[in-house]
Amino acid sequence: MRLREDARSLIFTNLCSMLGTFFLGLGSVYIKSKEAPAKDILKDLVEMCRGIQHPVRGLFLRNYLCQISRDKLPDIGSEYGGDGDSINDAVEFVLQNFTEMNKLWVRMHHQGPIREKEKREKERSELRDLVGKNLHVLSQIDGVDLDMYRDTVLPRALEQVVNCKDDLAQHYLMDCIIQVFPDEYHLQTLETLLGACPQLQPNVDIKMVLSQLMDRLSNYAASSTEVLPEFLQVGAFAKLSNAIGKVIDSQPEMPVFGSITLYVSLLTFTLRVHPDRLDYVDQVLAACVKKLSCLPRIEDKKATKQIVALLSAPIEKYNDIDTALKLSNYPRVMDHLDNATNKVMAVVIIQSIMKNNTYISTSDKVDALFELIKGLIRDMEDTDDEELDEDDFKEEQNSVARLIHMLYNDDPEEMLKIIYAVRKHILLGGHKRLVFTVPPLVFSALKLVRRLHCQEGDVIGEDVPATPKKIFQLLHQTVEALSVVPSPELALRLYLQCAEAANDCDLEPVAYAFFTQAFVLYEEEVADSKAQVTAIHLIIGTLQRMNIFGVENRDTLTHKATGYSAKLLKKPDQCRAVYACSHLFWVDDQDGIKDGERVLLCLKRALRIANAAQQMANVTRGSSGPVTLFVEILNKYIYFFEKGNPQITSSAIQGLIELIMTEMQSDNSLSEPSMDAFFSSTLRYIQFQKQKGGVMGEKYEPVKV
Amino acid sequence: MASRRRMLLKVIILGDSGVGKTSLMNQYVNKKFSNQYKATIGADFLTKEIQVEDRLFTLQMLILPFLQIWDTAGQERFQSLGVAFYRGADCCVLVYDVNVVKSFDNLNNWREEFLIQASPSDPENFPFVVLGNKIDVDGGNSRVVSEKKAKAWCASKGNIPYFETSAKEGINVEAAFECIAKNALKNEPEEEIYLPDTVDMAGSSRLQSSSSGCEC
Repeated sequence: MRLREDARSLIFTNLCSMLGTFFLGLGSVYIKSKEAPAKDILKDLVEMCRGIQHPVRGLFLRNYLCQISRDKLPDIGSEYGGDGDSINDAVEFVLQNFTEMNKLWVRMHHQGPIREKEKREKERSELRDLVGKNLHVLSQIDGVDLDMYRDTVLPRALEQVVNCKDDLAQHYLMDCIIQVFPDEYHLQTLETLLGACPQLQPNVDIKMVLSQLMDRLSNYAASSTEVLPEFLQVGAFAKLSNAIGKVIDSQPEMPVFGSITLYVSLLTFTLRVHPDRLDYVDQVLAACVKKLSCLPRIEDKKATKQIVALLSAPIEKYNDIDTALKLSNYPRVMDHLDNATNKVMAVVIIQSIMKNNTYISTSDKVDALFELIKGLIRDMEDTDDEELDEDDFKEEQNSVARLIHMLYNDDPEEMLKIIYAVRKHILLGGHKRLVFTVPPLVFSALKLVRRLHCQEGDVIGEDVPATPKKIFQLLHQTVEALSVVPSPELALRLYLQCAEAANDCDLEPVAYAFFTQAFVLYEEEVADSKAQVTAIHLIIGTLQRMNIFGVENRDTLTHKATGYSAKLLKKPDQCRAVYACSHLFWVDDQDGIKDGERVLLCLKRALRIANAAQQMANVTRGSSGPVTLFVEILNKYIYFFEKGNPQITSSAIQGLIELIMTEMQSDNSLSEPSMDAFFSSTLRYIQFQKQKGGVMGEKYEPVKV
Repeated sequence: MASRRRMLLKVIILGDSGVGKTSLMNQYVNKKFSNQYKATIGADFLTKEIQVEDRLFTLQMLILPFLQIWDTAGQERFQSLGVAFYRGADCCVLVYDVNVVKSFDNLNNWREEFLIQASPSDPENFPFVVLGNKIDVDGGNSRVVSEKKAKAWCASKGNIPYFETSAKEGINVEAAFECIAKNALKNEPEEEIYLPDTVDMAGSSRLQSSSSGCEC
């Protein structure tokens, strides 16, 4: 029985809508015939549609009405009349249809069993375009000018949107209004449109709606500079900013990330529309700070992401950290980030600087910048050390190191100030960071020293603040700071670099002082034998290139260096360091030192050590070690021989070759292919020099291979 | 029967949002243009009576929402109804904006979207027409897709006819649609003609009046 009733009502409504469709078609033809005014027929049709109250059928019927009437609406220039009144009629007709359709649509939500609610909402969502279509039709009517839109269309549409109190409808229709009507209209009616936002249901995602609006307006502003005055004229920024404030205040339930998303949209808008108004940008940030300061530190991932977006926007826009540094609220927003995100943001800032090659050119800016990226510069309170990933830390500190090279000014005086400022900040970094940050600072300062040295002549005098001497003092103290780490090897390298720079500036006492420091470190701090080997070779290499030392200073230093060499732990290391020392007495420059005798002494000493090493190997391993050391020494002999050291004779070379050959042929010698190759190529070289003839050929003449 | 079938030529217009699909249609049908950007909700269509080879036709142009979401940046939230509209298409017009590279890059997606949704019986030979719109913008200075590049793409897809248009200035619009109509006519009619419930009453009513008169 029940079923029959249902079926009957179904057939009835079906019949009704079929009839409706038929009459609508008829009406459309009737309008075309122009026998009666279009507006009257349309009015009748829209009234007639009231007969169908079944939501889905009603929606489709009215959608059909909307479609067929579209090209028959009285509009400007249309054949169905287009004076002021009839346009009103057309608008009235569509608005009425819109209202009725929305009612039907909203009603769907409330009809039918509760358990099918979800399915019904999905269905409803699929039908939304039927309702939205009316707004699209309205936007296409030429007669809907700004006045008509502001006075009739928008208020009526919003009235329906607000009063229907339906989440889905409100969100969708707000979005529709924003998308279908032109930007100019939105700009001129911002207050009305924004005024509706706080009246929407609490569950409506207003931030999405507002973001859409702001994105749209931002794109509009970006489309042409000619439209910018419009924005100024209506005070778009103030209105939007105000509206956002209201929405956030009226929705205390809104998650933090929601309100920050709104600020991000507003900021994007501001940056596009008012790129010159830094104060607006700062205002947005200030509003955000205000919101954030009432909350505990942000833990929400989504919110943090939005804050990062908020902070990244100005940097991306201006491509220039300089501008961001002028924003007083910028660091205050950063303070609300958790430590990890703070660091991420700091890295973003540094990357921006690197990418855009932005030089930070005053010490004030350097101070501001370091304040901004302080998360990377020093340990923050309540940092969880366990979380710290070693690789991440290195990566971060390396980026700080790169950054230091971007802090630069052509003016030496300002540059010195910058260096002082950087030093002040990085010294707060603690021992773990100094290893990364001191070297770039040292090199940055050395660069300044060399620049001053090049300009010398026009700036000499005690009253000039930036003198190499002064910088070297600073460098001295800076490298000394590494002692707390401690990182003696690094400090030693840096002292040697400084010594070399001092040498180039003709500052003998300074260079000597740096060497002294390096030696002290070597003696007192470098204990590891491998590190000692590396250090000693660095010392020898640097010392060899020094040319300002007087005989006495030089003797002291070379004496020390050779002394250290001979005291290395392993014999082969000793041997190699000692023969390297030979270069200290023979500098292949025009007026370099050339002390053949001491060269020979070094080489002979190296040979003795090599011998000892060989014997030791015999005793301990039962076989003599490879003869590599001898071949290496042979090569040194050949070098000095060719350089014209009178102490190195062809017979010495001859003797050495024979010695190596005997060693190699001895039964218990260890054969090593690389060594054999080394030796035979050395011999081939001698052969080659002999065959080549000339002066060198003659010199080699007595050597028999 | 054959002649009756051919009365309606159905043309589908596809392309990224904002390339000017509605504007082209409006320019062609109503000789009107508006600089304002207004998003289209759902499917939109206009019809125009045209004459091809001395015969009268109703050219129905539809702007359709896309159904597959290959580009979430589009206006897909206004597109929920629509698969039915694709059926029975005689020609597909692909529109891009010569000033926006992305809209050109997406042509391929649009073409495939169409072939999937409409599934024409002979996809290899289904008539497409490509329009490069907005050539007027900034005197052509902001143009980023060259005519050569566009033509090369069209050639690679089986010599698709290509037009450079400006809906604003009305450049080439008439010629393009003429070509579109001719190509639509060339397309073999589908087995069964499908008339969506929004199809023109004007066309069919005229037919009725000319044959058997009104049924009421």
